[in-house]
Amino acid sequence: MTAVLNIVRRNPTVIMAYLLAFLMVVAVSILRPGFGSPTHLRSLLIEAAVIGIVALGQTVVIISGGIDLSIPWVLNSTAVLMTVLTLGQNERMIWAIPVVLLAAATVGAINGLAIAYLQITPVIMTLAVNGILLGVMAGVASGGLNIGYERGAPPPIILGLARNPILGLPAVIWIWLSLIAAITIGLARSGWGRYTYAIGNNNVAATYAGVNVKVMQVLTYIISATMSGVAGIILAGKFGRAYLGMGDPFQFGSVAAVVVGGASILGGSGNYIGTVAGALILTVLTALLPIFKLPAAAQNIVYGLVVLGTVYLAGLSRAKESY
Amino acid sequence: MSGQTLTPLQTTASVERRPRTGERRFDVFQVIPYIIFFVLLISVVLLNPRLLRLSVLETKLNAAFPLLCVTFAQSLIILTGGIDLSIGGILSIATAIAATQMTGDPGSIIFWTLAILAAGALAGAINGLIVTKMRVTPFIATLATWSIWSGIALFILPKEGGVMPAVLKTIVQKGGILGLPKSLYLVVLLALAWQFLKRTRFVTRLYAIGSNRKNAHLSGTPIHATLIMAYALSGLLASLGGIYRTIQYSTGSPTAGDPFILTSAAAVIMGGMSLAGGRGSIGASLIGAFILLLINDLNYFLGVSTFFTPMVQGVLLILAVAIQSLGNYLRQRRLAL
Amino acid sequence: MADLELKHAKKRFGAVVALDDATLQCNRGEVHGLVGQNGAGKSTLVKILAGVVAADAGEITLDGRPLNVRNPAAAIAAGIGMVFQELSLIPDLTVAANVFYGRERANGLGISPRGLQRDAAALFDRLGIQDLDPAAEVRDLPLAQRQLCEIAKVLARDPAVIILDEATSALGARDAEWLIETARRLARSGKVIIYISHNLRDVQNISDRLTVFRNGQDVGVRAAGEATADELVALILGRRASRLFPPRTEPIGHEVVLAGAHLAGGARLHDFSLSLHQGEILGIGGLTGQGQDELFRGLYGMLRLRGEVQAHGKPVQLSNPRVALGAGIRLALVPEDRASQGLVLALPVLHNLSLSVLPRLLKLGLVSSRDELRMSDELIARLAIRLNSRLAPANSLSGGNQQKVVLGRLLATEPAILMLYDSTRGVDVGTKAEIFQLLRELTAKGSAVLFYSTDVDELVNMSDRVLVMRQGRSEAELAGADLTEENVIRASLGEPVKRAGAPITTGQTALVAEGGVQ
Repeated sequence: MTAVLNIVRRNPTVIMAYLLAFLMVVAVSILRPGFGSPTHLRSLLIEAAVIGIVALGQTVVIISGGIDLSIPWVLNSTAVLMTVLTLGQNERMIWAIPVVLLAAATVGAINGLAIAYLQITPVIMTLAVNGILLGVMAGVASGGLNIGYERGAPPPIILGLARNPILGLPAVIWIWLSLIAAITIGLARSGWGRYTYAIGNNNVAATYAGVNVKVMQVLTYIISATMSGVAGIILAGKFGRAYLGMGDPFQFGSVAAVVVGGASILGGSGNYIGTVAGALILTVLTALLPIFKLPAAAQNIVYGLVVLGTVYLAGLSRAKESY
Repeated sequence: MSGQTLTPLQTTASVERRPRTGERRFDVFQVIPYIIFFVLLISVVLLNPRLLRLSVLETKLNAAFPLLCVTFAQSLIILTGGIDLSIGGILSIATAIAATQMTGDPGSIIFWTLAILAAGALAGAINGLIVTKMRVTPFIATLATWSIWSGIALFILPKEGGVMPAVLKTIVQKGGILGLPKSLYLVVLLALAWQFLKRTRFVTRLYAIGSNRKNAHLSGTPIHATLIMAYALSGLLASLGGIYRTIQYSTGSPTAGDPFILTSAAAVIMGGMSLAGGRGSIGASLIGAFILLLINDLNYFLGVSTFFTPMVQGVLLILAVAIQSLGNYLRQRRLAL
Repeated sequence: MADLELKHAKKRFGAVVALDDATLQCNRGEVHGLVGQNGAGKSTLVKILAGVVAADAGEITLDGRPLNVRNPAAAIAAGIGMVFQELSLIPDLTVAANVFYGRERANGLGISPRGLQRDAAALFDRLGIQDLDPAAEVRDLPLAQRQLCEIAKVLARDPAVIILDEATSALGARDAEWLIETARRLARSGKVIIYISHNLRDVQNISDRLTVFRNGQDVGVRAAGEATADELVALILGRRASRLFPPRTEPIGHEVVLAGAHLAGGARLHDFSLSLHQGEILGIGGLTGQGQDELFRGLYGMLRLRGEVQAHGKPVQLSNPRVALGAGIRLALVPEDRASQGLVLALPVLHNLSLSVLPRLLKLGLVSSRDELRMSDELIARLAIRLNSRLAPANSLSGGNQQKVVLGRLLATEPAILMLYDSTRGVDVGTKAEIFQLLRELTAKGSAVLFYSTDVDELVNMSDRVLVMRQGRSEAELAGADLTEENVIRASLGEPVKRAGAPITTGQTALVAEGGVQ
């Protein structure tokens, strides 16, 4: 609890972000009564949860000074793999889910190892891995766009994650809440968290201080890929199937959520509470725009402007070079 | 030494008499893209001799030109140590405007071509302003503006469609001059443009900014002006590619530019340019673009499903960067720095 | 009125006051030296002249006319040429391209690389520069040639004012003499030459007049020929040196805690051996760039070294800082650049202090607030770190206090051997005294200290022995009566050392080994 309060106290921008999201919802609910209904809000929350979980990995990676552009297809591959392995049966989940998450983690490890030990820039490595996974999936599916449709649906438990409420909220929300707690405490209070911020701010000084920078870097990418995997499973449950291209919106979305949440894209600052706010704002924005009958074009423009604006504002307080 | 008079001015000072104290070895790594290009070219031609037929060559070069423009544009930015993710959006805007506004009337064609190029330059300049005056790092800045430019493209042309005057296609893309495809001349022009550009002070400044921005500043470089110019030029080239692509497909598309983003970055890297900036040649980047296109052809003829293309590109990208990394590491070891 | 005047300059960087109403007045036709300790304001002053830093207050005039030095380009245009201490070269461009940067000759076809190289060759001939290859890429050049290139670049512009900031620090003897000759010649031709160097003797030799800086102010202008070294040192320090240095209280132990044999690595360390005893303070001296950086970083595991290293009697592989800090060796380094290597500036002081010992403070994987706070309280008290809050970011502290935080972080690891690399640079005198006191306490308790300093006074007064490094090797070992400032300087320059009671001997001295590694 103190960790959360500390974060809120030290980051006025985060508070403003939450307020903004809240106000937007309230304002629109007044204009369009259906917007504020519990069912609609719940579905918005689920959408935000998926972005939020994906952005969790991105948050950790960005704080450590890197970036993960392989999220879309790690998500997609995990979703497909899960559907294929479980064949719609709950019993198979016991081994299938760990296997699938392990596969995602392995991809993350490959990202991290190449970035830390081969010194390949994160942008290139993760983008390349993204492309590789895209190619593999597309090739294996031989162009079939709806692999879930051919092989069946995810198991009922997964399908229920986004639908069946436990204590009033769908399981997805509970998963998200526990992840929020775990990561917030982890980043703020654990040794791993301290190391991550140190590396993102100044990995040379961190090395001098005896931090195992390379291992930490690999770890962050493993976390990111695993989170993408979790999101993939949840999303497949929500849609009822895994289809190619389901991960694409999260390429921009994950980075946007992190950056709107106040973290610096260059690393070293920010926290997950901020990203959560970012995820909420982006979700509300996406929901808002159709209501005002704005075409898809305007959505893109608004996204871009919002991200630019928040990054600019967040950057104002930081000391910058004068050239 | 003190007390000795300074050597008198020598009127025939020659570079060759200077001590070769620097490492002026022939840099093997620079030549690799060209070697790979020739090997691929020969392989592809052997697999498919029809390629040498003029009509086929013409089609291939027509298809290549937009990528070459965008690769050129991306190289300019990567040279400065940045990256332009919005380049696809600028290209999309170009196709959108072209497909909706151009009529067959020569006046319209000329006016709208100039207008589109100006719009591309303006979009690029805005990118440049955000990166310099607003101090937003290029990755995020262009990620955001990509969304904005895509939105504008969608606004102008909500769905793939529009129509291009047919006469343009005939003039620009069909038939030949002196027996060679017109697009070949355009490609050569692009290569010549680089040969010319690289001898300008502007490009020297780009290298300097990418190599060490702080020292470029200390040496008196007008950094903001130079960067804005670079982004504007980049936007102009992207919209040029967009116009050409629209002529080729005869329609516009609001998402036409998106595939070009990753491919142009891949081409630049395949051509040996460092993402950190300050090193490399745009000519080599153009070769890199050809390498990627030839690989596509090779895949096709080897029966590899085109769906695997992104995978092949991804692996190649990693290999290319790993080789660069290796080269750097070896160089540092050798110089014991 | 002087030809070049910078009057009543003021500049602060956050909490640090760099210039506090400083004035510099130089004339054409003279070589004007600037002397003072690190942090005294000389560098800031010339950076203002060069347009790199904007003064908070002050007037600048050249030949009576106000000067626009708003940014480096304006300063260059106004005729100010600065040879930067950290060099302002573009690594990926050739020497020729760097020398003519911004003023490349262009014909109808643009700039010709060959043409630039020919022009550069002609320029080098005219200036008398011999060791520079116009076609080489700067990033492939050794430091000495880079420095030469930087000088050539400034000279090529033929500026009215030439500022040489530690311009001879990496040059070999021949090139250094060339530069001094050239500086004098250029001064006589009507330019203003400003010369900054740590090497007091050099400055006195070259300059016609010199200005002494202390604590951000000019404290005296003297004619170089008239001022005695003592007078200058007194002006520089502001108080007598000896009070800074606490005396030894415990005898030196016999155990050799760290020994290195024929260490080599990096570009500049060629063959260096040392043995450090328990409770000893071993000083490393010499001009900058003689291999000290490679030695220290190599011993800490940041650089690969050839040669054998033994710690506490056992051979060790120092592959990275974690190993060095680890339980078997307990070797800690206070690095050269506290801003980029020693601290994570944006993080709170508290987090910086605990960064090297986090595993010790963990309970169930989370950092124990109580333990961490207690540890930081102890360190802050022990080192007398002045700050407002433990949670304030490290960059809000003054230079001296920042250095203390770095020390604190390393002290928390309870090192058996503490290495310090030029750790009192840019640190105020009061903090320096505290640091020296700390070193005495550490050695009294049995730790050993290896420290490198460019301040000869410090070196002589704090060390039990000094090994002077020159060109990657040990030039001389000085102890006891032989350990004088003059001898350290002599050895640094490669000149024979005056042994007490013995005739003058030449250069290389064999290492006096007491057991340990040979």
